Amino acid sequence: MKSMSIAALLFVIFLGALFVYVAEDIPAFGDANSAPNRYVWLFDMDAEGVEDDLNQGNIPASLGDKLEGRGFPLPSGVAKLKEGEWDAVIIPEEKHYYPKEQKYYFIEKKEDKLDVYRYSLYIRFVEEGEHETEVQNMVTYILADYRGYDTLGETTVIFTAGVAVLLLLRRKEKRPE
Amino acid sequence: MNSKDSGMSGGKGGDVVVETVSRLMVPFIQLFALYVIIHGAGGPGGGFQGGVIFASSFILYVIAFGIVKAGNRFSEAKNTVLFSTGVYIYAGVGLLCIICGLAFGAQFLNYGYIPLTHHFEENRALGMDLVEVGIGITVMAVITSIFFNLVWKREGEEVEGED
Repeated sequence: MKSMSIAALLFVIFLGALFVYVAEDIPAFGDANSAPNRYVWLFDMDAEGVEDDLNQGNIPASLGDKLEGRGFPLPSGVAKLKEGEWDAVIIPEEKHYYPKEQKYYFIEKKEDKLDVYRYSLYIRFVEEGEHETEVQNMVTYILADYRGYDTLGETTVIFTAGVAVLLLLRRKEKRPE
Repeated sequence: MNSKDSGMSGGKGGDVVVETVSRLMVPFIQLFALYVIIHGAGGPGGGFQGGVIFASSFILYVIAFGIVKAGNRFSEAKNTVLFSTGVYIYAGVGLLCIICGLAFGAQFLNYGYIPLTHHFEENRALGMDLVEVGIGITVMAVITSIFFNLVWKREGEEVEGED
């Protein structure tokens, strides 16, 4: 019995150490600018001769070919953030409900390479959510609107749990006194 | 049976202080639960939290007045109907979105197409409120049902042991 307790304690300590070790790799919580929260790396390419095009707001042909070859939509414009960093935006066609330009790719120049990133969905939730839904509470609009399917599933899980408990522990007929 | 009439299984002879305080507290807890559900869009809260708070008011009632009286007030039949009503409201709002948005691509759970107001964004906010109400009803009914069933089972086992 005692050896069992010691083994259990060791197991718990091992699990705790494992979680601490894994947690080291998680980026700081709530840091909206940390890379995993902001961008998804797509590919890199030669920066040779494309910088001028980007600065003038055009999509260089080599970049456009590469994006199309991978099945990504072509951006309709480029906005310069600062030296060596650009946002590529997409303006949806007029039938779309939000005909506002959306930040789509983030392009960064590192030495003579051009890194192309895709903005993560998280950015859209944070930046556009409030004026797309007229709700101030970010938790609510993500939970009930953007992730509506997920919440429907959660409610169904709770419903199923309730039915299961009802079937297993249902109270019996009134017993005779 | 009379000797067992204390605490959870009791119906008569409860403590006056406990009964009075919980009789006063229950409506306020329920009001607070409704506030949390309705206020989910503007502050902390939402369907899950509000539903659990609502269920806690029934639990307080059971602790004070006993399971028999509580069971008479909030019968299992009504509870079982409420179970599915919540999920039905949620899925029904989604279906309403499909019906109202037939001309725009018929998207499930895209609340913007429900014609409640003239603004797409405000429709989304109101649709979210409807959905939260559905979640709240389901959570409230399920938590209450689990608690009631556990308490009843315990009592039945004790009686069987006596026999």
